[in-house]
Amino acid sequence: MLARLHGHGEMYLRLVAAQVSAQLQYRVSFLLQSFGQFVATFIDLVTILLIFNRFPSLAGWTLPEVMFLYGVGTLAFGFSDLLCGGFDSLSRMIKTGTFDRVLTRPAGTFIQVLASDLQIRRVGRIAQGVLALGLAISWLDVTWTPPKVLVLLLALLSGTIIFSSIWVIGAAITFWTVETSEVTNVFTYGGAELVSYPMPIYADGIRRFFTFIVPLAFVSYLPALYILDLPDPLGLPPILQVASPVVAMMFLLAARGAWELGVRHYQGTGS
Amino acid sequence: MARSPWFLGDRVFWHAPDSDEIGYFGMPGSRQGGPVRLYWELGWLGFRSVAAYRTAAISGAITNTFFGFLRAYVFIALFQTRADVNGYSLSDTLTFAFVTQGLAAFVALWSWWTIAETVQTGQVTTDLSRPYDYQLAWLAQDYGRAVYQLGMRTVPPIVVGMIAFGITLPTDPLRWLALVPSMVLAVAISFGWRFGLNLTAFWLTDHRGIASVGLLAGFLFSGFLVPLAMWPDGLRELVTLLPFAGMVAIPIDIFLGKITGADLLAAYGLQAFWAVALLVGSRLMFNAALRKLVIQGG
Repeated sequence: MLARLHGHGEMYLRLVAAQVSAQLQYRVSFLLQSFGQFVATFIDLVTILLIFNRFPSLAGWTLPEVMFLYGVGTLAFGFSDLLCGGFDSLSRMIKTGTFDRVLTRPAGTFIQVLASDLQIRRVGRIAQGVLALGLAISWLDVTWTPPKVLVLLLALLSGTIIFSSIWVIGAAITFWTVETSEVTNVFTYGGAELVSYPMPIYADGIRRFFTFIVPLAFVSYLPALYILDLPDPLGLPPILQVASPVVAMMFLLAARGAWELGVRHYQGTGS
Repeated sequence: MARSPWFLGDRVFWHAPDSDEIGYFGMPGSRQGGPVRLYWELGWLGFRSVAAYRTAAISGAITNTFFGFLRAYVFIALFQTRADVNGYSLSDTLTFAFVTQGLAAFVALWSWWTIAETVQTGQVTTDLSRPYDYQLAWLAQDYGRAVYQLGMRTVPPIVVGMIAFGITLPTDPLRWLALVPSMVLAVAISFGWRFGLNLTAFWLTDHRGIASVGLLAGFLFSGFLVPLAMWPDGLRELVTLLPFAGMVAIPIDIFLGKITGADLLAAYGLQAFWAVALLVGSRLMFNAALRKLVIQGG
């Protein structure tokens, strides 16, 4: 098992390293595009600053606290966006027949698609997340105990896994629809927006859906309650505040299942 | 014998296309009807080329509506701390949330690189050799695109907002009428800006860096995300004078009845000023691009 994982890791790194060095050949282009990504996400940050210029708090959350949610959410989404570009472009692979080539190679389809399209310009969004989280942490007055640091790091990892699983499920649906379902955007880009604000502001149905079915509440809101010592008006069991890794792994398994089902269903688009 | 359009000079060898091949284009002033007919047909072409992607339009409308919900919940929570910001009530702001989501595709606020892509693929050389004014042809197509988006992308989020959050539409027919010139000018401003940004592809091999920053600046200052009324004093007055307010903030304020009477004329004037400035500016840029353009191949 470990040897297999090690083999996968090595292959992934090799495939990705080749793409990264190719993209770095066009250095100016890379820098400009990363800058573009940075500015794109900067707009979300400006929105938060603008609304807190006029309103003192959002459902009891202050600017630094919302900035914390936004930073964690943006980082997690940014990492998933960087890693999962291949899943986002699966539609093209199916249409051009490239996916058939993937099937003939002596390696798993999942790892091959995962490694097929890593756009390093997407570090722009990650840089934005670092900035937001840095700002939030410097504004906040949190006593950083080891468990809190651990919960934060695990939240970033779990959030990355949760968003990545959404990309994978969206891609798996492509095996049936061929065309990328743009509704996936609701869960990816829309999800990133959703986790930037505290969950109690949303209507019950939406909140339950994004807690128990697509577990976006575990990306930033629940870990933030633990780290910032905030009360939970929703009265969820406190254990859930540190349960993000478990939930993320379960969701990833579901995504893997959807992927396997999709690959089995795949028939190609014809000659 | 057909003559090269004035803006091409003698740089490009131009062969007059068979009018049978591209029948509906016609030639300006030819028997098939004058330039008005030509640009009308181009507008129809623009309409049909977005209409071909109906699924994309539907899923886009769903995404817009979802974002409308998210923004609405944020504003509902915010307005529990105060009742009014510079004349914007919660009810105004909820309407704002859904109408702006609806307008985003209408003024093509996000990404629109259709022209830049033709520069990269070389398709632009064919377009340049066609018997029409290049900028006007794209403008006409953009109006066609906007009309389609108005139906498919603007209406659905607003209807859902009415059902889910009880947002109300203006009842005064005059207000609807007042909206028309403003929307027409909004597309012209947005087009002028995007046309210029797309033309950077003539100079830069990769337009997606600097130019996308320009597009995002337009997005931010259009007053799409947060009503301009909520911007900090001082900054707000400045942003209101920029061209971008004419793409979203002004039409929205007319819709909400915040701009009426004589103020309407001032608002139209500002929009018209920027529409003309951006169209003329981008046209000069286009002429410079043509001087630079070297078409490869024989």
